[in-house]
Amino acid sequence: MTPLPTRNSKLTLRRADFRSVPEMLDYAAQGETGVTFYSVRGEILSALSWRQIRERAHVTARRLIGAGFARGERILITADTWPGFFDAFFGAQYAGLLPVPVSVPVGIGGKDAYLEQLKRQLAASGAVAAVGIEDLAGFLADAAAEFPAVRLHGGVSVLEALPEKPVDLRPLGPADLCYIQFSSGSTRHPHGVQITQAALMANLAGMTGPAGLEVVPGDRAVSWLPLYHDMGLIGFTMAPLSTQISLDYLTPRDFARRPTQWLNLISRNRGTIAYSPSFGYDLAARRAANQPDDLDLSSWRHAGIGGDMIRPDVLDRFSAAYEKAGFSAKAFIPSYGMAEVCLAITFSPHGVGVRTDTIDRVALAEGHRAQPALDAQDERRARSFVLCGKVLPGPRLEVRDEEGKALGDREIGRIFVAGPSIMPGYYGEPEATREVLSADGWLDTGDLGYTLKGEIVVTGRAKDLIIVNGRNIWPQDIEWAIESRKVVKNGDSVAFSVDAGEGERVVVAVLARVSGEEGRKTLASDVALAVREAIAVDCEVVLVPPSMGLPTTSSGKLSRARAKANYLAGLYAPKTAAA
Amino acid sequence: MRTAHELTVENDGIADTMILTRSVSRAEVVREICAHLEPYQVGEKPITGETVIAKDLTIDSLAIMDMVMELEDRFDVSIPMSVIAEIHTVDQLADTIGDLRARA
Repeated sequence: MTPLPTRNSKLTLRRADFRSVPEMLDYAAQGETGVTFYSVRGEILSALSWRQIRERAHVTARRLIGAGFARGERILITADTWPGFFDAFFGAQYAGLLPVPVSVPVGIGGKDAYLEQLKRQLAASGAVAAVGIEDLAGFLADAAAEFPAVRLHGGVSVLEALPEKPVDLRPLGPADLCYIQFSSGSTRHPHGVQITQAALMANLAGMTGPAGLEVVPGDRAVSWLPLYHDMGLIGFTMAPLSTQISLDYLTPRDFARRPTQWLNLISRNRGTIAYSPSFGYDLAARRAANQPDDLDLSSWRHAGIGGDMIRPDVLDRFSAAYEKAGFSAKAFIPSYGMAEVCLAITFSPHGVGVRTDTIDRVALAEGHRAQPALDAQDERRARSFVLCGKVLPGPRLEVRDEEGKALGDREIGRIFVAGPSIMPGYYGEPEATREVLSADGWLDTGDLGYTLKGEIVVTGRAKDLIIVNGRNIWPQDIEWAIESRKVVKNGDSVAFSVDAGEGERVVVAVLARVSGEEGRKTLASDVALAVREAIAVDCEVVLVPPSMGLPTTSSGKLSRARAKANYLAGLYAPKTAAA
Repeated sequence: MRTAHELTVENDGIADTMILTRSVSRAEVVREICAHLEPYQVGEKPITGETVIAKDLTIDSLAIMDMVMELEDRFDVSIPMSVIAEIHTVDQLADTIGDLRARA
């Protein structure tokens, strides 16, 4: 098998000027480009042109319609990166059904937690069918047992077993929803973001246009991002489809095993666009010693970063490690977005790489102002944040204070966005919707930040902000301080605050990968010392056994809110027997 | 069965691990698992077949996944994610690898 071609021979590249997903697939299907799936060893597992994806989707649609599924009904799909997901997802688009992509189980012994999650997602979406890879048929059956509304469940083979009937297709149209996206951070109470066709198309136009990634003939996307996440599905299925370019996939699991395989694909196929959260660049940088001599990343013109707080130190390490392979740090594109706006809000400008603004920690903490640092080298006083670029032409953005007043440059407040790609709300949850979306269409992103000459700088999540004696402290500052002093590794500490009557008290939960009382005591005092030195604040250190782990959201980010809830529930209290 | 040569990946350290293409005994699999888990042993309590990997040891979920991947490479098997989700003990992990190898 050979990978699909990068260019269409005759078809003119159109940038997302379509009204719906079926319309854009109809157009892309006139060319030769498409999607190639790779194994962990870099072998081609399958290659489907957009034309084949459309043909297969039509067959699936006729089966779904023939089986009596009604327009607007929901179909839950475990979103592995494989052709079956495309069959089910695009089949639903042509059958007038709404796909609900969900994650796949990870880790040993994770069955019970995964089943609970599936049940919550079935309840929240009211799905009438649940399909996935054959391996998960048993889990889907277990989860669906409590839901009589689920009329069909199992591997994708249960779809293939349905008779294909000579029925008319009923594609979702411009006024319809497209799918339901479970947003990250929603493990316990999942909120399904309603992705409408119109909002999606509006965002894709911005994302692929001149203010976004400016997709051109010759572009080729390479991705390992999970398809149950908005950055994976919208950024790396919908956006390439909306511009008829080819796309090469590695599964998230295989990326975790062989991060450099992602880079190999870019090198081999002359990939130009690939994204990852900072941690993906971190993983790849750690394996840089294994890069082959002929690795050539010079084709990679947009190396996007999004999905978590952007860490300039990690990106510096990555670009230094792969410079000899032709990677240019100028290719980095810090970006800001979320599922509630169908993904993108800002892109940093092309060809300049990561730019940071170094501000004074004291002014940041006391005055809600992002004042330039006097001495950028003084770690105690200076703190660098990444500039994420200007807002796309569609959406509008405001940073507001607590009273809702719009703030000026360098004033820190909550980030609000409005515009044509904002979600209509969370599926079936008017109250949760009202909490974040105002009647006049402004979305409270829940993020804090400031503007600088029209660009946005995100400083953290509002709900995670710690305020001690009137001083604002970003929990990631505490966590990074502990990591950078090599007390514990990345992701092993989580900082939050608890109400201490007259103010807040800082608590740091760390995974205790040590045994023995002596080792535990040393670890706790090392953590407290690191925090005191870097942030100048006292904290309580709680040691969490690795078997319990630190809580994460569905997309694998640390959940500070859940760590705090666990702490308050007494889960992190020291065992009296060991004391 | 595929040969070790065909499975070599040009650029990854993990692939340097010798891949076993001959038959392996269950004891060998258990030994390999225990070697991976040893650094996470709690006190003097020995690691046995009944050891619950995620509970009785100080290993975290990421390190567990690393170990599973290395075992998959070492024994040339691929453990389906639904099966992984139901594994708790060293014995269960060893049996799973043994079963998959027998079927290969």
